[in-house]
Amino acid sequence: MQDLLNAATLGSIYLLFALGMALVWGTIGILNFAHGATFMFSAFVGHMVSKETELPFLGVIGISVLVGAVISSLTQLLAFQPILKRSKSQHAAEMRILIGGIGVAAIPLALAQRETRSSPFGFNSSYKSEVFEVFGLRLTTTSAIIIVAGLAIGIGLTVWLRRSRQGLALRAIGVDAETSAGMGVNRPLLAFSTMAVAGGLAGLAGALLTFHLGAIAPETGDQLVIKAFAIIVLGGLGSMLGTVIGAYVLAGAETFVLVMNWGTWVDAVSFGLIFLILLARPQGLLGRKEVRRT
Amino acid sequence: MAGVAMATVCGTAACGSGGDSAGDGGDGTIKIAQVQDQTGPVAYAGLGASEGAELAIEEIEEQGFLGDDVKIELEKYDTAGEIERASSEMNKAMADRDVDAVLGPVSTQQAATVAPLVGRSKVPTIFTQAGGEGVVVNDYTFRVTPPMESYYASVMDFLEEEGVKTASVLYNATFPTFALLGEDDVPAMAEERGIEIVQSLPVQMTTQDFSGQAQQVAKEGADALVMLLIAPQSVTALGQLNDAGYDGQVVATSVQAAGNIEAAGDNANGLVYPVPFSVAMEDKESDAFTKAFQKKFDKEPDPYAADGYDAVWWIARAVEASGDSSREGIRKGLEEIAGDGFTGAMGDLTFDGNDARIDGVLVRWQNGKETLLK
Repeated sequence: MQDLLNAATLGSIYLLFALGMALVWGTIGILNFAHGATFMFSAFVGHMVSKETELPFLGVIGISVLVGAVISSLTQLLAFQPILKRSKSQHAAEMRILIGGIGVAAIPLALAQRETRSSPFGFNSSYKSEVFEVFGLRLTTTSAIIIVAGLAIGIGLTVWLRRSRQGLALRAIGVDAETSAGMGVNRPLLAFSTMAVAGGLAGLAGALLTFHLGAIAPETGDQLVIKAFAIIVLGGLGSMLGTVIGAYVLAGAETFVLVMNWGTWVDAVSFGLIFLILLARPQGLLGRKEVRRT
Repeated sequence: MAGVAMATVCGTAACGSGGDSAGDGGDGTIKIAQVQDQTGPVAYAGLGASEGAELAIEEIEEQGFLGDDVKIELEKYDTAGEIERASSEMNKAMADRDVDAVLGPVSTQQAATVAPLVGRSKVPTIFTQAGGEGVVVNDYTFRVTPPMESYYASVMDFLEEEGVKTASVLYNATFPTFALLGEDDVPAMAEERGIEIVQSLPVQMTTQDFSGQAQQVAKEGADALVMLLIAPQSVTALGQLNDAGYDGQVVATSVQAAGNIEAAGDNANGLVYPVPFSVAMEDKESDAFTKAFQKKFDKEPDPYAADGYDAVWWIARAVEASGDSSREGIRKGLEEIAGDGFTGAMGDLTFDGNDARIDGVLVRWQNGKETLLK
């Protein structure tokens, strides 16, 4: 049971990180490789502010979410939107956006590395995580918050995308951007808002993960980007529920490997599992059988 | 002696360039290329070494150690944590005929890749850090930072003195130095001291969450934990060990030095680790280095700064010993100095061939500060 609890915590961490990436990739078609840097830099700003004055838990969360939203919005305005404008089609823009995201990510990464000398950084916060035991299981308050936040936001986003008008409009862009624009969907505004929300989610994930781990390093986001990429592909591009399931499947596989004390096989086994699932179901666990973008 | 050195440096310069004397600093300047990470995940090591090297150069010039008119120029090349870039930057540095000696990359993977190139180009290269195998492999490769396993015995002695009978090992198996320690050296040293290794948990470089491992360690309940992890991993592991209820003695490595463990806060209290240099060291040379560094940079030096400082002083001593500032002259001088050993910021350095050895010191981290154990 303790291992299941550990898997749930790890899965929720992956989920919080992957949700923003999945949202923008699955709807407005932007595979944002700057998401990891946004995640890291949001926490880094929280760290810098908390060095000056001790912050409460919600203060750190608020700063990180705000910084994440601002960075992501600026990325959309200054990088992705101009790339899209200069490209003949969404398809032509995809590779340029991918490279653009990597380029954008290098800036906050270099700033944080320069400032911290690549040493780990955390928060100076009045919040202290506590451990409580339920039926012999040990859980920290931060883990509990992460599990609840991950599930609540994951399910909330899934429901919102399926039930709300804005969600429908976003999904319509994901299926056919040009037709949806012709039907009155304001793509630039929705894309900007989606990027802002995704950035806010990255900031939230950055703050929560830093509280959970005690500290992160400037490169922490880079490692998570690869995992998030795998989770989205595993779950099925365009399906938020698939992302939720994918995150917990990956975390479950990794936890199993750790329980077996095969620590160095974590990536090989978990990514191997993803590979096998994709061989059997190329569109991912909950992906649409056919998505055609023009 | 300084005057002699001055004369020989200028004399060599007067010989002109070409052949083996390439890189002789024809204008009375000795040029050292620092090919180390200035950015990237291990930038702290390269940046620290830069500061130490700059301090050493300032002292050498102020003292007129090599003669009043001899200048040392430090040119930095950033390897940015990448093996390919380390290789290309090393090639670039060694192709510069004015470069007399090189401070080589700090990571073993980078260093082992460039070590054969160093032998082919015949440019004396001192590696700092890079504690794994395959680094000191030819007459032109030298290492000033002792390999961690060569001074890790002090930690195991400490555990024995503390009455530790059982120990767990948590180690980063994809980091060559830690893999060697975790799989070979620590188990062997533990056995010699009657300590039973009851658990060995390997993790990857990419492992970020240690909840599972921490609970396994707590469940096993060994007297001590040997934790061989990189800086961010250590911070997380210590917090999660505490959350899991583990209260045994945790011992770690010099990676935790330089304030890298500070982010762990109270969870790091009581952590013991060996370091080649600490500001808590009290011997004359180490203390003088600490004070000079504080005066120049307004902060405390870390072990990486001590590496850079001792490496540049080794080069200066080599030039003085051989009386020749060409690449070949420096190589011969480095060998000669290694034969005798010298006292630097890290204390008394002796050498196994071209590879440094020291006793190291054991420190305990308590309330944000290192205190000397022995």
